[in-house]
Amino acid sequence: MSRQDDTSVEEYEQSSESKSKVVQVIAGLVAKFTSKEFINQVIWTIGSILLALVVAAVIMLMGGYDPGQAFLYLAVGAITNFDQVLWYSSPLIITGLSVAIAFRCGLFNIGAEGQLYMGAMTSALLAYIFAFPIFVHPILCLIVGMLAGAAWGFVPGLLKAYRGAHEVVTTMMLSYTAILLTSWLVGPNGPFWDQSMVSQSPQFYDSALLPLLFGNYLHFGFIIALMAVFAVDFLINNTVIGYEMRAVGNNTEAAESAGINSKRNIVFALAISGALSGLAGSTEMLGTYDRFISNWSAGLGWDGITVAVLGKNNPWGVLAGGIFFGALKAGGNTMHAIAHVPFEMVKVIQGLIVLFIAAPRIIEWLMQHTQENKDQAQTEPAKSIPRLLVAIFGLASVFLGLGIARVALISGLISPFIYVAAMILLVTSVLGVLLFIAEYSHNPIGSRLLLIIAVGWLLGGTLFWIGAGYVDITSIMMGGIALLFWITMPILAKRETEEASVQ
Amino acid sequence: MKLPNYRYLAGFCAILIGAIAILLMPPTQQDIAGWLLSITMQMAVPLVLAGLGGMYSERGGIVNIGLEGIMLMGAFTGAAVTWYLRNPLIGVISACVAGGLLAAVHGIICVKFKGNHIVSGTGIILFGAGFTTIMLELVWHQKGRGDLIVNTIPDILIPQIQDIPFLGSAFSVISPVVIFMFVITAISWYVLYRTPFGLRLRAAGEDPSTLDSAGASVEWTRVIGVIISGCLAGLGGAYLSIGFSSAFSKEMTNGRGFIALAAMIFGNWTPFGVLGAGLFFGFLEGLNYFIQIYFQVLLPYANFIAMLPFVLVVVALGLIRKSVPPKAIAIPYEKEKKG
Repeated sequence: MSRQDDTSVEEYEQSSESKSKVVQVIAGLVAKFTSKEFINQVIWTIGSILLALVVAAVIMLMGGYDPGQAFLYLAVGAITNFDQVLWYSSPLIITGLSVAIAFRCGLFNIGAEGQLYMGAMTSALLAYIFAFPIFVHPILCLIVGMLAGAAWGFVPGLLKAYRGAHEVVTTMMLSYTAILLTSWLVGPNGPFWDQSMVSQSPQFYDSALLPLLFGNYLHFGFIIALMAVFAVDFLINNTVIGYEMRAVGNNTEAAESAGINSKRNIVFALAISGALSGLAGSTEMLGTYDRFISNWSAGLGWDGITVAVLGKNNPWGVLAGGIFFGALKAGGNTMHAIAHVPFEMVKVIQGLIVLFIAAPRIIEWLMQHTQENKDQAQTEPAKSIPRLLVAIFGLASVFLGLGIARVALISGLISPFIYVAAMILLVTSVLGVLLFIAEYSHNPIGSRLLLIIAVGWLLGGTLFWIGAGYVDITSIMMGGIALLFWITMPILAKRETEEASVQ
Repeated sequence: MKLPNYRYLAGFCAILIGAIAILLMPPTQQDIAGWLLSITMQMAVPLVLAGLGGMYSERGGIVNIGLEGIMLMGAFTGAAVTWYLRNPLIGVISACVAGGLLAAVHGIICVKFKGNHIVSGTGIILFGAGFTTIMLELVWHQKGRGDLIVNTIPDILIPQIQDIPFLGSAFSVISPVVIFMFVITAISWYVLYRTPFGLRLRAAGEDPSTLDSAGASVEWTRVIGVIISGCLAGLGGAYLSIGFSSAFSKEMTNGRGFIALAAMIFGNWTPFGVLGAGLFFGFLEGLNYFIQIYFQVLLPYANFIAMLPFVLVVVALGLIRKSVPPKAIAIPYEKEKKG
């Protein structure tokens, strides 16, 4: 060993001794958050969210809503009601963690909803049948709720590990079982019914309820959610069980040959996942509600899946994703109240975000071709600018086609010509997306698509004219522009090739 | 001597016992049994169609968990188009097209962009549920439930057998979609096992590299499988909104997409298996209606009884047998690089 190496080792040892543990942890975090992989993932996630919002805006335009106003009030609502944001996000974070921990073990816990109902039901029973001292009662309720959820996740785990039954089917079936079972238990003539008109249980004792933190909504459940994030992070990254679970999730066979009992880990992961879902149900019961109402959750388990997907199955990502979806929900109320956009728009946005995140290569594709187009626009602008114009025309025909088709359908004119025209324009607008994709990625099929779109616009416009009795200038104009592009594009391309051959 | 497959044996025994029991009944009870058979077939239609769809998709190697969202999309499109154009045939066709389009999105994400099948399917479910609810408000200006549709799929009347005790109540008024369900099952069997396309589809699900080296496109085969699955699921959804009932309501599929998946797994990814399992689940769902009409004593237990099929699926999956999906399922196919 040379002298230089010796000194470097000494320096390293000195430095590691002199730095306190806190500084090391912070340095590790900084390194983690500035690593290229992390930044790439953040870019992909934000890109997916933006793409989803763009598609949601198209859908809103189609429905005749003003997307600008909708997004404005979505943001305003989320910022002004921050306590509501956190209130909405706390069960989402916990169910998100539940789904994420199963994902880490290579399992898809699609039935978090059922585990949530079982947790909520058992803690509700404990909360209204038995009376305990004030601090003990909620803690007992939460523990029992977690155990019930764990049991509801344990069964699919056993079936998966020892019988090979796919966990997607079994957790889903058990989820429906739990929902129907609880609505029977608190329903008319059920054992835990409160004799009222509604399917609900009697009211809880006050000693069982979780305290409010501030405002009218935010309860102690958010603190529990934060604690759960820390606990799951510790479990996954710093314990043997977490390591084994990740190993099974990455490659079951490799883990098996390394001596890890994959079956036990599968059962364990689903049980923990179920326990977390049960915890989410219990906190909602004790914090937000004061009695068990049948079908109360309205898809919290499903939202957990979206949160886990958005957070890339990382506990801290889940925290961020949960707060993001909480903001969407809280803002969605304001959006509904002021901009009159239905609350379900939030669900559509969620679905679109999941769709785009499922396919990270969409963003990759977009970034790659943007770079190519940028390069080409700098080196040979005459060749690339017409093509980009056609791509923009494709996008414009999407918006206009949807708009005119909607006008045609809602105009109240009952004529087969109008319906056929609307259908043709809808197809044309779908083709517009394809035209954009083709032209943006240098695909030669673009010119053929352009001709079809031109014909579609002209045909749709003519039929609309016959049906409605007045000329729709936009569609005829769009058809004309498309034809013009189609005629000039080959000429331009030919001139380019001639110039190139002369040179 | 090799015994026939016990599932066929069990099905045959069940049919035989049922037939003998019906023969021994008095005529009024025979009518009730016929009614139960009829409602069984009606409840089975969406399950069998969506289940067959799921089979086409999964035989090609793509998990289609988004059947629920696709069915909702079909139910909404069928209802809206029929409401506007007053023609159920166009409604059914456009429901097929809408389902196929939504499934094509799933297929492109899974095949071209190599996304996670189950995550993408979840996105499809969420999108379908949210989108149809928004559109419901736009089309009918109501929340939760659309207007009544007058021009639903017309039933086929067979007056010749109306007065026969059992057959009359079972088959004298029958929806063309119910007949289509049986026909499409037979066609699916033929397509899957006796045509080049079926062979390619099965190869894409079992061993895509072999298919690729035989010169067929794995990507296109898989995408076509998913699109067929979307068309069938969309048709099943349309039967819910303009066949069985006559209005579209919010999230009206009510988990049938997942039951269809379960039927597909029960049917071991074969057409006639899916038909049998779908009819069985349809029977369990039909029992609910049976209780509401003939057994009102049990009405408080309606939720409990509705729960039983789900428990049964879990028990059967756990205890009776292992299910064997296609080998290359949910694995994106990467072509080997030339050179």
